Amino acid sequence: MPKPEFIYVTYIETTPEKLWHALTDGNFTERYWFGARLRSDWKVGSSFEMVRSDGTVSDAGEVVECDPPRRLAYTFVNQSDRFRNEFPALATFILEPYGKLVKLTLTHEGFAEGSKFFEGISKGWPAILSSLKSILETGQPLEIPYAALKLDS
Amino acid sequence: MSKTEFVYTTYIETSAEKLWHALTDGDFTERYWFGHRVASDWKVGSPFRFTHPERPSPEGKVLISDPPKKLAYSWNGCSDDLKQERTSRVTFDLEPRGNIVKLTVTHDNLDEGGKTFLGISEGWPMVIASLKSILETGRPLPADLATNAAREQTHA
Repeated sequence: MPKPEFIYVTYIETTPEKLWHALTDGNFTERYWFGARLRSDWKVGSSFEMVRSDGTVSDAGEVVECDPPRRLAYTFVNQSDRFRNEFPALATFILEPYGKLVKLTLTHEGFAEGSKFFEGISKGWPAILSSLKSILETGQPLEIPYAALKLDS
Repeated sequence: MSKTEFVYTTYIETSAEKLWHALTDGDFTERYWFGHRVASDWKVGSPFRFTHPERPSPEGKVLISDPPKKLAYSWNGCSDDLKQERTSRVTFDLEPRGNIVKLTVTHDNLDEGGKTFLGISEGWPMVIASLKSILETGRPLPADLATNAAREQTHA
């Protein structure tokens, strides 16, 4: 059985620098990432956290790779009881300029077979990256109802 | 039965009706689908065909047509070597969520490790990204994206 791996590719009309900023600036992520502020100093080995609007940490891990504006990789796992004992899998973002577009490739790998967290991220990433594309191209994020993700099904 | 499938989900700020039109109207597909025009009467069992002035285009038959919720068609490859592979299937599911539509594209019944699978895995993210852009901003992604990316891929 192959281990679960999630890959998502999209093309965004923006620059690698703006996309890098959008992926690493907490004030910006809060606008399109279901309210999550990313918190890190983005040095390899430093902590990486997703922070809710009430200040609690929803997900935590560490920075594995940081090569602006080309490659960013970090591990994380959700801190709720349901997921916190899972191995923190690795999310890698690759930014490649194509003319006035950037090709963004996200690979999220290293999950155990049957990982529940894998099911969650597979539903979450398409929504987050769709909203990211919208905010960079139109100035407005999407207002995706959280229920649309069907995280419980 | 092959288990090879490609699934791609995106969320677009539009209505299900506008998205349906964007998927089925040739004048519209030509603008964002990198020059490929689609034509069909979109009745179940009817043929549909994409055409492009310079490039081979896929064709097949309409399998499900339930506007504006679900559209499915069979998919025969564009070029001679792709025609050697089995007929695959493309399904579009449109689910409205407030002022947004969740679009899920499922391309299945593909030859494992086949050229169709490799081609569509590159192609759908571009087509869907361009579709999302045209519906949200009025502008598709540049038409040379498909050819430039294909060139990169060949040289990689």
